[in-house]
Amino acid sequence: MTNRLAARLTAHFGSLRTTLALLALLGGVVLARPEFAPLTVVFVLLAANLLAALVVHPLLRRQLPLLVFHLALLVLVMLVGWGRLHALDGRFELTQGTTFDGHLIDRQAGPLHSPRLHRLAFRHDGFEIDYAPGRKRGATRNAVTWHGDDGTPRSALIGDHRPLLLDGHRIYTSPNKGFAPVLVWRSAQGESTTGAVHLPSFPMHELRQSREWALPDGRAVWVQLQIDETLIDPATNSAFRLPAAHRLVVRVGEQRAELAPGERVALPGGTLAYVELRTWMGYRVAYDPTLPWLLAASLLAALSLAAHYVSKFRGERVPTPRSTWQDLRHG
Amino acid sequence: MDESRWLHAALLLYVVAAWQAALVLVPAATLRPWRQSARPWLSAAIAAHTVALALRWHAHGHGPFTTMHEILSSNLWSLAVALAMASFGLRELRQALWAAMPVLAVLAAWMLMADARPGHLPPTYATPLLYLHTVVGKAFLGLLLLAVALGAVPLLRRTAWGAARLRQIPDDRRFDELAYRCAGFALVFESLMLIVGAVWAQDAWGRYWAWDPLESWAFVTWVALAAALHGRATLRPAPAVFAAWLIAVFAIAFLTFFGVPFLSTAPHKGAV
Repeated sequence: MTNRLAARLTAHFGSLRTTLALLALLGGVVLARPEFAPLTVVFVLLAANLLAALVVHPLLRRQLPLLVFHLALLVLVMLVGWGRLHALDGRFELTQGTTFDGHLIDRQAGPLHSPRLHRLAFRHDGFEIDYAPGRKRGATRNAVTWHGDDGTPRSALIGDHRPLLLDGHRIYTSPNKGFAPVLVWRSAQGESTTGAVHLPSFPMHELRQSREWALPDGRAVWVQLQIDETLIDPATNSAFRLPAAHRLVVRVGEQRAELAPGERVALPGGTLAYVELRTWMGYRVAYDPTLPWLLAASLLAALSLAAHYVSKFRGERVPTPRSTWQDLRHG
Repeated sequence: MDESRWLHAALLLYVVAAWQAALVLVPAATLRPWRQSARPWLSAAIAAHTVALALRWHAHGHGPFTTMHEILSSNLWSLAVALAMASFGLRELRQALWAAMPVLAVLAAWMLMADARPGHLPPTYATPLLYLHTVVGKAFLGLLLLAVALGAVPLLRRTAWGAARLRQIPDDRRFDELAYRCAGFALVFESLMLIVGAVWAQDAWGRYWAWDPLESWAFVTWVALAAALHGRATLRPAPAVFAAWLIAVFAIAFLTFFGVPFLSTAPHKGAV
């Protein structure tokens, strides 16, 4: 009984009707729940069905372009799976003038991914961003420098759709960027700690330019950037820039001070100095070793499909009209 | 020179072309003095529309890629070009142009209602991939519209009314075969559109595919068209049935092109 049921099921495997049913299932899954597990199940079923079809349908094997198309689809599915196992997608922020140390704010990585972020030591050297009227963001030009494998200094302008390619990783700028006041805490014992406070993204959070910074002893320093000018005028073409004049409001407990760059304030246990105002940029890092192969397989699939139709239609005659083109004045 | 005058002139010429195309469905003896080929009117409409698009491109410094008005206008133009070019080579299509006209009419009416003010060209659009993605996408939709128009003849002939009016043109098998050919090549161009879109997404957003609403619906369109072509090989449907499938696929493609980007608030804005 079980063998008969299995035989009936396998009899349909590899058929075009099963393909149709699986395509319908795939469409339903994509619209209802395009998530990893259900999509994987459907793609595995489609791949198994295709493999079965290649075995049981000699006609499919004889039509070379059609065979190549289907094999390329199979390879595409396998490459996507392989890529997901090894891929990395992460985010980090970098203060102007500092070098990436491999630390990510958040990350999603495949189970077989081996981290190599320590090899991506590039420095963020500042950026320019154009704005059209209405504060519509234009081109981003982020200067970055790093050292090549032979130690040679390298530099590039990245931004928008121009990522930095380092050791197989693709590093992209993001819309998240803003101001970073650089602070130095010098304790009464003479130990100093330097830090940059990444204020909320600008100009998106223009009216919320404040954040806390933790001192080595655990106390929180609340800082707020006060700007008395419109940095990005919504009425005209503009650009992201540092403010010409500004103050940094510092609050620790009940004590409050307003500092200009270079000024300091004495606090219980030490001195807090406001050094300067810099920028920070949010980056996205992506790693997927299969990208070039995915492109090659997908192009091969599309081109072999085109070759299939060209050869098929060239060899076939369109049915001859039964009736003649009589009394037609529209031609 | 005012772009809108050229655009309105083009719309007027499209209306005349649609009228001439629709006369195929009127008995031959009726309105005989008014019968002319739709192609010269369609060509004139395309010429005027080309001038309108060129003037807008020149005035705003970028192509019709950003607002709903621009997307509708450029697709109205590209679909009309596809119909005009194919009708020079395919005389069957000249008898089926009427079937494509409702699609052009919807695009034109929607375009007139859409905000015509210029939009902002996102920084990620400054790439040749934009043009490649647009061209293969328009080729896909154009070929699918040709397939739908050709398939509509057997479908309409299933009715007594249609059979009476379309009895003088070739039989269903010829229209069916031509519709199949257009649909096959439409699948090729849709595949290329997805590939170029994925390459662009990798550069613009750091991922080649994320199943956002537009990507999901574009993939479903590909699956639906692949299923229609598989179904033709498997189930050997009658020409009218295959035409109905193609119309369903076109409806999904139309929704993907013009509906999903307009309604979705997900990151992949596409058209808007």
